[in-house]
Amino acid sequence: MSSETMTLNLKIWRQKNAQTEGKLVDYRVDHVSPDMSFLEMIDVLNEQLVRKGEDPIAFDHDCREGICGMCSMMIDGKAHGGYKNTTTCQVHMRLYKNGDTIVIEPFRAQAFPLIKDLAVDRGAIDKVMMAGGYITANTGNAPDANAMLIPKPVADEAMDAAACIGCGACVASCPNGSGMLFMGAKISQLAVLPQGEPEAPRRALNMVHTHDGLGFGNCTNHAECEATCPKGISIEHIARMNREYLKAAFTYHEKTRSEGGA
Amino acid sequence: MVTSAMNHYCKSSIGRKQLIAVTGLLLCGFLVGHLTGNFLLLVGPDAFNIYAHKLASLGAVLYLIEAGLAALFLGHLGLAIKLNMENMKAKGKYQQKTRTGRGTTIASQTMPITGLVLFIFLILHLCSIKFGSHYETTVDGVLMRDLYRTTLEYFRSTGATAWYVFAMICAAVHTSHGFASAFQTMGWNHGKYFKNVKRLGLIYAILVGGGFAFISIWCHMKGV
Amino acid sequence: MAINLDPKTPSGDLKDKWSKHKFESKLVNPANKRKFTVIVVGTGLAGGSAAATLAELGYNVLSFCIQDSARRAHSIAAQGGINAAKNYPNDGDSVKRLFYDTIKGGDYRSREANVYRLAEVSTNIIDQMVSQGVPFAREYGGYLDNRSFGGAQVSRTFYARGQTGQQLLLGCYSGMMKMVSKGKIKMFNRREMMDLVTINGKARGIIVRNLITGELERYAADAVLLCTGGYGNVFYLSTNAMASNASAAWRCYKRGAAFANPCFTQIHPTCIPVHGDYQSKLTLMSESLRNDGRVWVPKKPNDTRKPAEIPDDERDYYLERVYPSFGNLAPRDISSRQAKYRYDEGKGVGPTKQAVYLDFRDAIARDGKEVIAGRYGNLFEMYERITGDDPYKTPMMIYPAVHYTMGGLWVDYNLQSTVPGLHVLGEANFSDHGANRLGASALMQGLADGYFVIPSTISHYLASTPLEKVTTEAKEFKDAEEAVRIQTSKLLGIKGKQTVDTFHKKLGHYMWDYVGMSRNEAGLKKAIDGIRKLREEFWQDVNVPGDTGNFNLELHKATRVADFLELGELMALDALERNESCGGHFREEYQTPDGEAQRDDANFAHAAVWEYTGPNSSPIRHKEELKFEYVQLATRSYK
Repeated sequence: MSSETMTLNLKIWRQKNAQTEGKLVDYRVDHVSPDMSFLEMIDVLNEQLVRKGEDPIAFDHDCREGICGMCSMMIDGKAHGGYKNTTTCQVHMRLYKNGDTIVIEPFRAQAFPLIKDLAVDRGAIDKVMMAGGYITANTGNAPDANAMLIPKPVADEAMDAAACIGCGACVASCPNGSGMLFMGAKISQLAVLPQGEPEAPRRALNMVHTHDGLGFGNCTNHAECEATCPKGISIEHIARMNREYLKAAFTYHEKTRSEGGA
Repeated sequence: MVTSAMNHYCKSSIGRKQLIAVTGLLLCGFLVGHLTGNFLLLVGPDAFNIYAHKLASLGAVLYLIEAGLAALFLGHLGLAIKLNMENMKAKGKYQQKTRTGRGTTIASQTMPITGLVLFIFLILHLCSIKFGSHYETTVDGVLMRDLYRTTLEYFRSTGATAWYVFAMICAAVHTSHGFASAFQTMGWNHGKYFKNVKRLGLIYAILVGGGFAFISIWCHMKGV
Repeated sequence: MAINLDPKTPSGDLKDKWSKHKFESKLVNPANKRKFTVIVVGTGLAGGSAAATLAELGYNVLSFCIQDSARRAHSIAAQGGINAAKNYPNDGDSVKRLFYDTIKGGDYRSREANVYRLAEVSTNIIDQMVSQGVPFAREYGGYLDNRSFGGAQVSRTFYARGQTGQQLLLGCYSGMMKMVSKGKIKMFNRREMMDLVTINGKARGIIVRNLITGELERYAADAVLLCTGGYGNVFYLSTNAMASNASAAWRCYKRGAAFANPCFTQIHPTCIPVHGDYQSKLTLMSESLRNDGRVWVPKKPNDTRKPAEIPDDERDYYLERVYPSFGNLAPRDISSRQAKYRYDEGKGVGPTKQAVYLDFRDAIARDGKEVIAGRYGNLFEMYERITGDDPYKTPMMIYPAVHYTMGGLWVDYNLQSTVPGLHVLGEANFSDHGANRLGASALMQGLADGYFVIPSTISHYLASTPLEKVTTEAKEFKDAEEAVRIQTSKLLGIKGKQTVDTFHKKLGHYMWDYVGMSRNEAGLKKAIDGIRKLREEFWQDVNVPGDTGNFNLELHKATRVADFLELGELMALDALERNESCGGHFREEYQTPDGEAQRDDANFAHAAVWEYTGPNSSPIRHKEELKFEYVQLATRSYK
């Protein structure tokens, strides 16, 4: 742990709300310890601003241990700073040098309208999930947990996909603002598990169609999402989703039937 | 909703992408055929002209093939334009330029540009070769079009050759991303073999782009 | 106000109580369920599972969360696993054993019937989560894998890598999203509960702040479920998320819900130490590290040599020295306290001295780097990312940190608080963990409450209680909203000199120094006095910039800190009144000659239940006597 501190120049996106125009504003932060996390550095800046009676910078954050998916920020044009398997809250200032200039912007995409400064509305992720990111298993129905055998490689594959924290870095870093990685991860997780199979085609169709209607762009396989994903989720899951979707589009059929009875 | 799945397919992002992928792969196949034919230029005027004549004599079948190719090209192009327009809108006015350097490549980012160059090239190419100067020649007593001469005449110009080579570089760049990308889009990506698909895509791009370019330069040298 | 502390424990044999109770509970018929509306505040494991299940049953659910999505509740950060008495490994586990371990782990300060029920439904939780697609770790044969955890001699912990909490929460969240899409749950994100509205003595609604617009909103219902987690952030630094707070529970306390055992907090021994006053939170390193790491400090106080330069005979492997049989695996509360003693002796290490070494040198020499990397690779990586030190080369530095609060709003067997209609689930209640919680049991409790307990008990409440029709236009709603509005403008109007965080940090120092790992009468009195003064200072000198009509993060923090400043005092008061040492509560005056906790079962085998009596009068301490019919009270020993 080092005791030397740094001075940093920040260019931070300030925007009062979605209706007003925003711009990058210059700030200087002194006495930045290399042991600080990136968000703690912003905390220090905000303390300075409050003391001066200025409006502190609004940003989303919560667990600060890289799992809740609440923190965002494009740091120098890269989602979560672009460090491998790292969320913004886990970026530490020892990665920067005294005198560095850092540009901090919000996650931008049509599907993520801006709320204030660095905070955006990622509700579209919930909407995609509502369209089918679940297994219909009402409480109380479940058979014994070991009644359905799931080989380790399958469980591991599902877990790789399930690691998604829903932060939206994939959308923000995608040159097309597409939501295919987080959606693909969920469809893929539930498609490889036997529990998810009964609903798999319906899930793929509904989720993809909902995604398309929310202002997300289309995937053109840049794989920038995979590079930037703080949980290292592979685009193989997008491929599995494509497969699932193709299969479902050509085979799934559901008639409307009356459920009346005695 | 779900019952009209097929209707949705062609309108959905994945469905359209898959149509682009399939048309793209078929066009890749067409390029291989075209290139093979072009190599006959190296064999000599007769070989090339007989080959061209045989194609021309297919009659209705040729028109069908041509219509098919036109549909592939136009479908590929139309869907791609729509896709790109949506994507530009989805990212909004704040396109961030910096990238991690681990995902996007020059090829992936320039797909619309290289694609457009190829489309313009295609039209000019048809005008200058297929619908270009018409000469006749007789091979083994059969009167046929001397396409060999048309081609060599065309490549006599340094400008035309340079443009052609440039277009083929675009083709190589375009397919270097497009080939593997189509596999990913169709869902044929698995950790076990996808690296090889990517390699194959690269080899394809170099061979096809390089092949066409090589022949054009050869023509240029020969024609002078 | 008379306070009813009847635990409503069903009669009959321990193992039959829950099924008997379920049978005796009144039901709401399926067609009538849609006539009832239930408010669920919080979307963690307790809130998420309750909201989804009640919606599936047919109730109309209004669900509120403070984050931008239900998927971000802090249950997500739980790493290790979830206990269940499945006995899959065939190692002698049973419902009774899990029950017994939990009671003993809680140092005999929890209610037998509740804990037994928890153990009983634990197996259903695993079934339920698997059916929802939670990818628990598996063996090659396809069967579920188990690991062992502290405080138990059997392997009963199910896990999904180091992200069990995340996977369980996403399971609950997906169930919720399913019911949102069906219109049975109305989801309200970025809302913070500001007050509870009671009408005719029953909980009938809440006032929330829309955190984006700043507007206050009113919601009415037939019952309110509070699933808002613990209050560890009263210490400022804890392993809790930044938004975790006590305000919702505290406002309920002020509306008549009694608060039980506020002083029972759990300090986790292996966290990454504090390294500067700018620090915003503490990060936990899994307890499993102590399986191979050896904990030590230099024998000489203020030794500034690098760890590698200190020879073995100048190191004090104090856990191995004091607890030869358990060694480095001594339980959480004991290990934490020993680390504090070393700091007090001036033997702490690192720049702040608030740290001890956790050394893998011997383990690496014994098993090789490969093996250790296989076990802890991801943790080592995380440690290096945060501290910049490589644990393969130099010992980790660790120190205890506040992690969980066993205390909470008092609830009866039905999870109902002393306010009829207000039910409290998960960490927010006090019910199951006594004075100390075992590892991997928090997830179990949250899900047990939400999936299996509340669906049954809420129907009984709704079916057996006359509930007159209320709307948000009722006077009680208007008054409650007005009170919040007044408090808000008061906060915004002070425009003093100190930031909210300054006060929060000062409060944290009082709490950590005097109401932390070990407590004594003088310190607690000092804390009570200090916190009172700090509170006065807060209301005169805090600076909350901006106004209400905006996304005002400082205002959000200020309302939470205002409540923490009151809760902190109650915690100190509770600790002062509990003249014994038990579990996470260690009073220096009550220890055995060799420095171990000394429980006083004759006088303190009860839950201390605090009743609010107004802003200017002291709260009243009631007791719920704990009856132990099935377990024998014994002293915990780890020597």
